[in-house]
Amino acid sequence: MRRIIITLLVLILNLMFAGCGGVFFRQWPQHSEHLPVSHELDSVPFYPQEAYQCGPASLSMALTWSGIQTNPETITPEVFTPSRKGSLQSAMIGATRRHGRLAYPITGPDSIFEEVSAGHPVIVLQNLGLSWYPVWHYAVVVGYDLHKSTVILHSGVTPRKRLSFRVFYNTWARSDYWGLLVLSPSRLPAMATKHNYISAVLGLEKAHQWRAAIEGYKTALARWPGSLSARMGLGNSYYALGDLESAEAAFREATRRFPTDGMAFNNLAQVLWEQGKQQEALEAAGRAVDLDGPLVEEYRKTLKGIQAGKP
Amino acid sequence: MVRRVAKPVSIVLTICMLLLSLPHKSAFAGMIGTETVLDATRGQEARDYLNRIFARADVRASLIAQGIDPLEAKARVASLSDAEIVSLADQIEELPAGGSALGIIVGALLIVFIVLLITDILGYTDIFPFVKKHSEVK
Repeated sequence: MRRIIITLLVLILNLMFAGCGGVFFRQWPQHSEHLPVSHELDSVPFYPQEAYQCGPASLSMALTWSGIQTNPETITPEVFTPSRKGSLQSAMIGATRRHGRLAYPITGPDSIFEEVSAGHPVIVLQNLGLSWYPVWHYAVVVGYDLHKSTVILHSGVTPRKRLSFRVFYNTWARSDYWGLLVLSPSRLPAMATKHNYISAVLGLEKAHQWRAAIEGYKTALARWPGSLSARMGLGNSYYALGDLESAEAAFREATRRFPTDGMAFNNLAQVLWEQGKQQEALEAAGRAVDLDGPLVEEYRKTLKGIQAGKP
Repeated sequence: MVRRVAKPVSIVLTICMLLLSLPHKSAFAGMIGTETVLDATRGQEARDYLNRIFARADVRASLIAQGIDPLEAKARVASLSDAEIVSLADQIEELPAGGSALGIIVGALLIVFIVLLITDILGYTDIFPFVKKHSEVK
């Protein structure tokens, strides 16, 4: 009888802790040789949170750090969902963009200290509970110490709270290492990849933050001058602002660098046409159609539109 | 009664669903949106990126040192699909020490990565799940 009870208890314990995040300790952080031994940002303000308001508080800290004057009270209606008593990640990203800031998500545990040592605070989502009893919490990582194995966070009502790597890693792993950089579009994340960065700038376009998007695409082009997407995005953002001359310049540069790509010629044609440069527009649109490609139907429409007359 | 109401409602709903499921169009007539460009160019840019890596002298030297013909390796990589190539380029870009900036010292990590990748494709190792093995038994 006793054996059966023990077996059952072991089974229950196993079930309780099954799937509770990554199992520390797989030598984290990896590749830390090139990192400063410790780093702490002193330029990130601290806003203590009220009940359930860790999302607005964390976002306010990051936005204020990035140069946007704000506070948790003004941010709360933008991100907080009362029925869920919390803030969804998508709302955090959306609010960041609405303030003209670049929302760069971090996925995976490996780049967080690179960002902090480059001077960027990182909003992280932790599950302070267990996988089957989640207690979701946003905090802002503002420092770390490799010697003492601690992460320093602005968290809840505690500024500069120190957590051991083990606790931090385990609570963060339960959100699949969700993290967010809130950056001025003139800054590049320390570990930026081209596609992720341009996707983040595209988010600014979606939020109709054209000026911020322009800035972001320029930042992208300084780093990846060969990116057609960034150059087209730059032209499209100028176009959306009504700055046709700058849009034309961007698309012209795109056609110069990518003379075999119809997309650049198509947009150049449209912009020329809207400036009344009919002949040049016809040439560009014809070129796009000649170059062919999966979007050739779009190019034909543009060409027909120009041939038909008025913009 | 229900039937009489249901028909027009279902037609309206059908149209709404169709509109929702149409491919993304740029917000402005005549213009190709940035999202479309991003999707269209991603595979090609990743391919160019990998080709530039294969052109590096240190990468070629270490491949030869492993007994791998760089030309053959390049050809094998070229046979990967767009999605596989993109995944590969992302992994190289995410290597620490600025793996994406080809100009600066990337050091041993990139070399190890490339060598493992090539040996994966050739079937000696099995590190990267996205690499399809040519000798895979169907």
